[in-house]
This record gives sequence, structure tokens and C-alpha cells, in this order.
Amino acid sequence: MPPRRTNDDYMGGQSDSDVSMLDEDELTSRVKAKGKGKATEGRKGDKGKSKVKEQPYAWEASYTRTWETVQEDEAGSLHTAVRDLIAKGRRRRLLAPAEAVRRTIIRHLILVLDLSSSMMDRDMRPTRFDLMLQYAREFIAEWFDQNPLGQIGIVGMRGGIGERIGEMSGNPQDVLRSIAERHKLEPVGEPSLQNAIEMARSSMSHLPTNSSREITIIFGSLTTCDPGNIHDTLDECVKDKIRISLVALAAEMKICRELCVKTGGQFGVALNEGHFKDLLFELIPPPAQRALTRANGPGAANPAADLIMMGFPTRLPVTSQPSLCVCHGELKSEGFLCPRCLAKVCDVPTDCDICGLMIVSSPHLARSYHHLFPVKPYTPITNLDDATSLSATCYGCSVPFQEKVLQPNVPLVDGISPLGRYRCPECEHDFCTECDVFIHDVLHCCPGCGK
Amino acid sequence: MDNASHLGVVLDLSPKQWHLAAQPSNPHPITLVASLSHLLAFLNAHIACKDENSLALFGALPGKSVMLYSSTMPVNEEEIQPADANTYRPFKVMDSTIMKHIVSEVEALGEPEVEEPIGFVGALTKAMCYINRVTNGSTSSTSRNDDLATLPDPRILVISVSPDQSSSYIPVMNLIFSAQKLKVTIDVCKIFGGESVFLQQAAHLTGGSYIDIDRPDAILQYLMMSFLPPPGLRQLISVPTQDKIDFRAACFCHKNIVDIGFVCSVCLSIFCQPVPVCSTCRTKFPIKTLQRLNASRPNAAPGSAGTPARSSTPARTATPAISANSLPRSTSINPAAVPRVVSNGSAPATSSPMQNGEPR
Ligand SMILES: [Zn+2]
Ligand SMILES: [Zn+2]
Ligand SMILES: [Zn+2]
Ligand SMILES: [Zn+2]
Ligand SMILES: [Zn+2]
Ligand SMILES: [Zn+2]
Repeated sequence: MPPRRTNDDYMGGQSDSDVSMLDEDELTSRVKAKGKGKATEGRKGDKGKSKVKEQPYAWEASYTRTWETVQEDEAGSLHTAVRDLIAKGRRRRLLAPAEAVRRTIIRHLILVLDLSSSMMDRDMRPTRFDLMLQYAREFIAEWFDQNPLGQIGIVGMRGGIGERIGEMSGNPQDVLRSIAERHKLEPVGEPSLQNAIEMARSSMSHLPTNSSREITIIFGSLTTCDPGNIHDTLDECVKDKIRISLVALAAEMKICRELCVKTGGQFGVALNEGHFKDLLFELIPPPAQRALTRANGPGAANPAADLIMMGFPTRLPVTSQPSLCVCHGELKSEGFLCPRCLAKVCDVPTDCDICGLMIVSSPHLARSYHHLFPVKPYTPITNLDDATSLSATCYGCSVPFQEKVLQPNVPLVDGISPLGRYRCPECEHDFCTECDVFIHDVLHCCPGCGK
Repeated sequence: MDNASHLGVVLDLSPKQWHLAAQPSNPHPITLVASLSHLLAFLNAHIACKDENSLALFGALPGKSVMLYSSTMPVNEEEIQPADANTYRPFKVMDSTIMKHIVSEVEALGEPEVEEPIGFVGALTKAMCYINRVTNGSTSSTSRNDDLATLPDPRILVISVSPDQSSSYIPVMNLIFSAQKLKVTIDVCKIFGGESVFLQQAAHLTGGSYIDIDRPDAILQYLMMSFLPPPGLRQLISVPTQDKIDFRAACFCHKNIVDIGFVCSVCLSIFCQPVPVCSTCRTKFPIKTLQRLNASRPNAAPGSAGTPARSSTPARTATPAISANSLPRSTSINPAAVPRVVSNGSAPATSSPMQNGEPR
């Protein structure tokens, strides 16, 4: 459960904090550069929770922030700090479930953006509105990267109504184009949660049962101006199995939390810019469906699961003979051939207009496979006692290992090898720190096991 | 060429495939030794293009993969034969190091009865690890990386003579996506062994070129004209592009390459025939879907549809038997059969289908 603030904690977001913002940005970029957000750690366990609580609000931050987080060791180098960051990443991986988790992969998401006047607040730099737009764009790009078969639609809340900004689409370019022009989204008036949710719900009502339906709301106000009882809307959403997640920028509101809790979504209040981004990006990975399995017992039939027939097309080059496409009736060279009826369509994924087969290119499906077959975490080698069988170089990049402990005075960190040597439990080859991180975070394929 | 470029070469060293490629019955036979001399000339040209150009050569051998040469490798001076007046010394050093390594690796193979599957994925992952290490890993332990710390335009050239191993579908796909993330271009030079669906996709998705060579005896010409210019120059030089690209995938159950597959909506595993339970995430599919899919299957001949000709475990032959049956019978069989499928899938974690083709 993400950290939250209660209403009592709310002290008003008006105070300005130009100076601290610099520190904050520097901190996030530095932490991000290592690929392990400090704040992202906060999710796991009680330890993380208390850590985020210590973190001051954006307007309370001071010059000293960066030095509290990244500390030099006695020799004046940042080596220890960097090592700690890597260690955190490793531990997080060890905590993650080892076996494949069921995940909802065909997702439908309506992103609801608050475009009310409270979004012009400057407690987040440059304004809540600009920051929201920037993060929303990054969110969409990353979301499609991880959910290639998903679709996103965009709804705005302003002037007391819900406004359809972008139609549900599976093409990231289309979605990004709909929020590309800032002046069309200028915040004005009051937000209405009920109107926006009703609009989102109606645009997902036609969807098949085997896909997930989600609403993600970015909410910067402390009020909502609704035409009716929002609890009725909430009940409808529960009935339709729509998950609502909400990231609040101001403070917690009871109805916001209730929307998320009752529909099984996530709720969080952003403490500062970095935390806002973390809360939003937590919603990107396909949600695990473990809770559902446990409730129904293992192997129980999942009503949402289905077997879908799909075709993998052949792509025609630009140099091929022009012919008419079946989707637009236009004469063009490039296109994809339906494997069943050989009709030519312009773009995939799509349903074949002739035979109705769902056509996807196999890379679309394959993007999510590393969720299914993760590389097992490597074991850190802490001593060189069984020195007989040790290889001299990293199995991945062939860079020689160091022979002795680099900094013998540094206390051992859990999950970190002082020798920079990590061993794959399956193929028993040794890897260096860089390769360990790279293999687990990017490659998803062990060079020794070849899978 | 303004920028230095890094070239990683993955060389397929399958003895069986090279033997087949050298058969005089081929229209244009080529031996390993002949093509190696072409390749060395190409590698020398790459190094000669610019002083800062770097190189790493990886060999894919049956059941394993090795690094054969890299520009950062320490040179063993004594082992190099005395210089001769006609060769540039760095070329000589590189050529003899590469040849020495290849000879020792191939000799170490011995003469096994059956050739193990080629360690192609391993060689490609190592090439990626190496690029990752030299592009952003300047660690305290290795100071000589410093001059390579900003490596623009990394690319990988795959020289392939083996057909696709369908068991490597998922790792190859993962490799393609990480290559996209690191902005690595993958070029493929196919000398022998038929079309490769996976390598076609790799080249297409990373912006490289896939060239199926018509005249393997003239491989140097192809290498020089198509693969020597770094990706930055490719807009100016018209490098041959791919004709059709085959977007087919391999099914998870038998590793067949399929053009129409049955996909689990939960985890997107691909099966070549309707199955009652997903072997990856163990989701049970509604019986109605199975009936509908079985009815609408292309070429759903009742006899041949069920049992695949390939080698398969007992559980797998059981699966199609259930799905091919009509409802009254299958409901009676299901309770007994389903646990069998589940236990089979769960025993070696969830990766049991993957282990068939795994090297060693
Ligand atoms: Zn069209
Ligand atoms: Zn069709
Ligand atoms: Zn390494
Ligand atoms: Zn391994
Ligand atoms: Zn199959
Ligand atoms: Zn599945």
C-alpha cells in the first residue's frame, strides 16, 4: 500500500520552494541514473514505509537533502552509496516471486486527467498541470511498451463535466497526439469525479470479458462537483469489474480512497514530484492476478481467461507490387498479409476485415514474455574458499574479476558480493556486477543457460 | 566516418552445418576456412576504417559460446609469430589470435555422435553484455575501458549457417527488445541453412539488414558493401533491405513455428492447437471456447489434428486428445487428465517446455 497522508497532515500547498526543487531534481535524476529509484523501494514492507514517512514534503525540503541520501564514505568516494543502491535493487528482485505470475495482459485503460483550476497550483514545479502532462506522456509511452496489446483512452475533468479527449486506441502515437497540445487542455472550473467516471465507464462498456478494464485518475483538487450520488457510480464500477486507481496531488479525500479500495485499485497521495511519478509508474506493470487465484483455489476457472485464435502475418516490403488494402481500400505497397485469407491490412494489431482473425505481429506478444520466464536471481559469492573452480573472467562480458576484496574495511551488505562476483544457480557461471544488473533488468536472458 | 563504432560479431561455428555448406553438391560450396579468410579481411577493414573502432568476436559452438577476440583483450606477445614484412602488425596480431582460438575451440569439441544445439543465444547475449559493459560500465577495476566509455553506434553482425532453433524463440525476442533499448543494430548475414524467421525479425526490429547470400563463395563482397558502413552512414548508402518479413512465432508446446496460433489471454503463451489448460500460467479455458476453436480450426481433420508427429511427452499427447473430443466424453476425461497436465507443467518450475532445446 503506497504511503499516504491524512487530512490532519495537510498543511496547505501554497508555500514556495524554488531552492529545494533543484535538490529534488538532482536527487531524482541521480537515483534514476542507477535505475533504482529510492522512492520506488518504499513499496515493499514496513521498512520502506517508514523511510518514505521521513522524507519531507516538497516545500519542506532543504539544501541538505542530497547529502542525506547519497553519503560519501571516509575516502570521500560515492562508491558505498552506489553499492547500496545496487544492493537495494538486488534485494527487491529476491523478494519478487520466483515463479511465473498470472498477469492481465490485454488491458484497457481510461486515463482521467484533472483539468480543473486547482491544477494551476505551483506546489509542484512548474505547475501541477504541466507536470501532470509531462508524466502522462511518459506514462503512456512506458505503458504501451509493457502492455503492447493494451488500449488507452483519455478523459478530462473540467468545468464540472467529463470531456472525452482521446478515443480508446492501441496506437501510442494516437494517444500521445490527443494530449500533445497544451493550450487545448487549459485547466478551468471545478472537477467532477462522477461525470468523468461515468464517461470512462460508458466507453468501456462494450469491451469483451477477457480483457481488464481500468480507470486511472490523476486528481489535484479537494472537491468534486457531482450531479448525483457518486456511490451509485462506484457500485456500478464494482459490478462491471472496473479497477479504479487514483493518484492525488493535494491530499487524501475519503471518496477517493473508497473508489480505489472497493474496486481493487491503488490509491496514493504524491508527496513531491518524484513520488508522484513513482505512484503513477507503479500502475504500469500488468497487475498480477494472484489474489484471484487464491480466492478461488488453484486451477479454478478464471471467468476472464480465454483462449484466443490469433494470426501472425507476413509483412510486405515497400518495394512490392501495390494492391488495395481491405481496411481502407487504398492502393499501397506495404502492408501485412492475413495468414488465413491472405487479405492485405495496413497495420497490426487488428482484426482481419475479411475473415475476422485477430492479426498480431509476434513481437507484440513477445514483449511481455520476460514476465513469464524471469531469470533466477544470482547468488552473491562472498568468499573465495573453493578457489579451484573459479573462472578468471565474467562469463558475460569477459572482463577479469578482481582477485581480492576491494574495500576490506567496508561492512558486508546483504545481497552484495564484496568481490563483485555473482553466480547463476542454474548454469553456475559467474558474472560481474554490471552484467548481473543488466541481465536481470534489461536482457532477461542468462548467457550461460541461454534462456 | 566521423564517429568510432563498435562491431560485435557472432560467428556460427556449427561443424555439422559448415560441413553441409561445403558439400560439392551445393551450387556454391564454401568451406569454413575460406569464409574465415573473407571474414578476417572484413574485420581488418573495420579496424582500419578508424583508429578508435573496436571489435569483439563471439563464437557459437555446439552447446556453448566463447569470446574469440576483443579489442580490449590483453595481447600475448610471445605467442604471435615473428612479424613478416608484408603485414601490418595489428592485423597480424588479431588474425592469429582469432585463428588460434577458433582452432583450439573446435579441436576441444572432439567428435561427438550427435551435435548439441548451437550456443547461439549465449553468444548473442554475451555480445550484448559486452556492449553494455563498454558503453556504460567504467568501473574501478578496469581502467582501460575509459577510452571506450562513449561508444556510439554499437552494432552486432550475426553470421549464421544454422537453421532456427525454435526453442530459442523467447530468448531471441528478449534480446531484440534489449537491443532496441540499447540502440544496438543487429545485422544478419545468412550464408547457409535456410531462412531464419527469428533473425529476420531481429534485423527488422533493430533497423539492421538481413541478407541471405546467393553466392557464399563471394561473401567478402557482401560483407564489405553492406555491413562495413556503420548505421549512421546507412541513410546515405543504400544497403539491401529485407524483402518480406515473416512475423511468425514458435508455439510454446512443441516449438513448432506457426502462422495461426492459440493465445492464452492471461499470459499470451502461444499454442499450436487449442489446449484446455495453459501450461505456462495454468489458467483453465472455458470448454465452450475449445469447442468453438476446434470447430473453426483450419484443416481440422479429426484424425491428424490431435496427435502431433513430433516427439512429445505423454502429457502433451494427452492434451490434444482431450480437446479433440466432443463434450460428453471430454467432461468425463477432464478431471483425471487435467491434474496430469498441471503436475507435468509444475514439476520443473514453469519452464518445462523450454528445457527440451536447452543447450547441455
Ligand atoms: Zn488500409
Ligand atoms: Zn483474414
Ligand atoms: Zn560482466
Ligand atoms: Zn545461467
Ligand atoms: Zn505446439
Ligand atoms: Zn496462460
